[in-house]
Amino acid sequence: MVLYDSATLGGSCSGSSSSSSSSKPPPLQQRQQTQQDIDGLLAGAGYRVRSSELRKVAQRLERLETAMVNSPADLSQLASDTIHYNPSDLASWVDSLLSEFTQPPTCPSEFIMDPETNQTVVSDAWTTAEPHMPQVHQNISYQQQSLNNQLTVDNQLTVVTAMEEDSGIRLVHMLMTCAECVQRGDFSLATSCLEDMQGLLTRVNTVCGIGKVAGHFIDALSRRIFQGIGGGSINGGSAYENEILYHHFYEACPYLKFAHFTANQAILEAFDGHDCVHVVDFNLMHGLQWPALIQALALRPGGPPLLRLTGIGPPSPDGRDSLREIGLRLAELARSVNVRFAFRGVAASRLEDVKPWMLQVNPKESVAVNSIMQLHRLLGSDLNRNSPIETVLSWIRSLNPKIMTVVEQEANHNQPGFLDRFTEALHYYSTMFDSLEACTVQPNKALAEIYIQREIANVVSCEGSARVERHEPLSKWRTRLSGAGFRPLHLGSNAYKQASMLLTLFSAEGYSVEENDGCLTLGWHSRPLIAASAWQAVSDGTADFPA
Amino acid sequence: MGRSKEVNLNECKMVVPLNTWVLISNFKLAYNLLRRPDGTFNRHLAEFLDRKVPANANLVDGVFSFDVLIDRGTSLLSRIYRPATAEEPQPNIAELEKPVTAEVVPVIIFFHGGSFAHSSANSAIYDTLCRRLVRLCKAVVVSVNYRRAPENRYPCAYDDGWTALKWVNSRPWLQSQKDSKVHIYLAGDSSGGNIAHHVALRAIESGIDVLGNILLNPMFGGQERTESEKRLDGKYFVTLRDRDWYWRAYLPEGEDRDHPACNPFGPNGRSLEGIKFPKSLVVVAGLDLIQDWQLAYVEGLKKAGQEVKLLYMEQATIGFYLLPSSNHFHTVTDEISKFVSSDSIKTIGERIMQCIGPLLCVDYVCLFKCFLG
Repeated sequence: MVLYDSATLGGSCSGSSSSSSSSKPPPLQQRQQTQQDIDGLLAGAGYRVRSSELRKVAQRLERLETAMVNSPADLSQLASDTIHYNPSDLASWVDSLLSEFTQPPTCPSEFIMDPETNQTVVSDAWTTAEPHMPQVHQNISYQQQSLNNQLTVDNQLTVVTAMEEDSGIRLVHMLMTCAECVQRGDFSLATSCLEDMQGLLTRVNTVCGIGKVAGHFIDALSRRIFQGIGGGSINGGSAYENEILYHHFYEACPYLKFAHFTANQAILEAFDGHDCVHVVDFNLMHGLQWPALIQALALRPGGPPLLRLTGIGPPSPDGRDSLREIGLRLAELARSVNVRFAFRGVAASRLEDVKPWMLQVNPKESVAVNSIMQLHRLLGSDLNRNSPIETVLSWIRSLNPKIMTVVEQEANHNQPGFLDRFTEALHYYSTMFDSLEACTVQPNKALAEIYIQREIANVVSCEGSARVERHEPLSKWRTRLSGAGFRPLHLGSNAYKQASMLLTLFSAEGYSVEENDGCLTLGWHSRPLIAASAWQAVSDGTADFPA
Repeated sequence: MGRSKEVNLNECKMVVPLNTWVLISNFKLAYNLLRRPDGTFNRHLAEFLDRKVPANANLVDGVFSFDVLIDRGTSLLSRIYRPATAEEPQPNIAELEKPVTAEVVPVIIFFHGGSFAHSSANSAIYDTLCRRLVRLCKAVVVSVNYRRAPENRYPCAYDDGWTALKWVNSRPWLQSQKDSKVHIYLAGDSSGGNIAHHVALRAIESGIDVLGNILLNPMFGGQERTESEKRLDGKYFVTLRDRDWYWRAYLPEGEDRDHPACNPFGPNGRSLEGIKFPKSLVVVAGLDLIQDWQLAYVEGLKKAGQEVKLLYMEQATIGFYLLPSSNHFHTVTDEISKFVSSDSIKTIGERIMQCIGPLLCVDYVCLFKCFLG
């Protein structure tokens, strides 16, 4: 049973392994190396350095060392207070550290000989004092987006397993077999698989790992087989129900909390020095993200700005205006901490139905657009019109936001092949369920599981416009957002530290925050599950506001 | 700071390829930021700066990997690397732990370096190194994400290594077809080499057979200041001061460097005479300031009648094996491959092919004569 199309890996899995290949960089890196002149060996170590810049980086490293030796006081400050960004871009990391020193360091003796080429390097480079260029970390101008993808391997499948007994492994086998039958259209075989699996489920450890989540996947598969792919009725729960489940998911595990405080930190920094700010939240829910930001703005040196919040959410069916209710509560909080605050609700059943004029953005305001797990819903394409994602990204850009914070599931659940999607989802959600085990509070945990279960059902049993959970990994979002005219704002070591510390407060051991090319990911047992990033529109001088 | 330090910087640059120099200097400077004078460690910044890569169950250059939680209690993860085989050219996602099929499959339990404080099993440099080991030795590699100092002192790292050894030894799917046993090697660089030694020690009385130890620039030390430490202090990326810091961070509080964890054949050490200790391959870099301790370790093994092969790489610095851009790298990988495969049945032809591997052009007739002559 062949599961993976080796062609998608660029022919790198021809199946032959040769002992002599240890000195060659893998094919993917080789291709990019010739295009971009990136040193392939350093890329394998996680660093992106142009071969043509190696010598310059080496010189800068020497200067940095000299500076560190000469001013130990600065060194300890460098160690504790400095915010570091994007360590993969070695050249800019070294430069940013160099700029932290109060005086340009005295230059050591020249780099005499390049051991590789045996050429003598011109020593002028050393003795010429380079201009001291302090960098504004917030808006580091960054190399082209094509460099972003140097180190990420597309078509990556991350699997974390725990010790499983045999029947657990059999269950996985059968799930894969069933999914493969579904992909082939052999529904009768798929159905008998389902029956076998139901039987096996009673004998498997359903406390953790694959066993725990298998039941949900079996349900989703049977939904798909018996109700067809439009049968996303599990998603037809009322908005109210969804909000309850969301709230319990928020409480039971740190993913949403991580999303909120990472986005808030970035928004807070972006709003620094601005007096009129406007946050557009793509999915207000209970407004859980905003009290913390309001309080942080209240406490900022120089006083809080005027804060406007526009919350987008589904219309309430029963005549209630739930958006307005949330807005009122937030307004009360803002009043209690002396932050001038205005709220506006925009009711829309789908994000693509929102038009920029509805947000009433004032040209004098600094805008932050906040999207927590919303953008992927726009990826279902309708071949008759512009894809919704492009439309939405385009009007976001037209608002010229100071920052756009994006948090998305770090998963490849939008692949065209059903089996690939199924496999990825199986591993993603079993890891997520595993992490939920650490939560012992009920009913948080049970309802959180239902929340996740709905996602699973959507990924597995729906297609077309019904399938909204179209998660894509960070590497794809980078390409997409860069292509739409956005450039990354890097999340630095301060955001990283905050996330790490809050995790130890809130959650069990096993969660890990990682830095990935200027973005932060939160995962369980070395598997990233959610990714947070920040963006700004690339200015092209033609920023326009909606009429 | 005088002329001599500048001269040393130049010497250093001349013995390593440029990209290796950049990599190791980057580590050196970053690590300077992480070690605090009071003995604490800036773990958040360390994890932020460390370049990590996820496991990948899809084949890349004939190797796939996945992470396994070996011990829930300590959150002990290991990354397993497996080679694609002729019978199984594409890994089946439902059967990552499918039994190995060859007559003999070496299983290398690898302990990454980092002086007990830095790096992880999913650090990019070690992920890359382990993948190379798989291709080189046709082995399964199990890279252990052991707990680190100073948050977790001795003996946590050894405990985790021991847990991993027991786990590997009890996996039916890692048993070689020939004898239904797991063919285990312990390997590690820097602190990982130290861990390999101590885990092998623990294995002795337990009945778990370790076929060999591979120690790359293993981290050992002692109270005394040896000649190499004095001569090479600060010359090739490493200072005595940082070495001292790491030992203080790992060893129990109040202990000195003659503690047997640091100095296994020192005043508090134990002789291995008469003990069934695995054969060892010890690689020592000639420009590593702790080489006197590493050479003393080799002597200690020899004196106890243990089988040990020393590979002394004269012009090599620490970390030379991280990037395959030097001759030292190929010599070492060659030796590792021979060390691991010498326990399996090999035809003369296979042995020849092993040697030919890294070479670009070869005089076959000449080689044959060497083998048969």
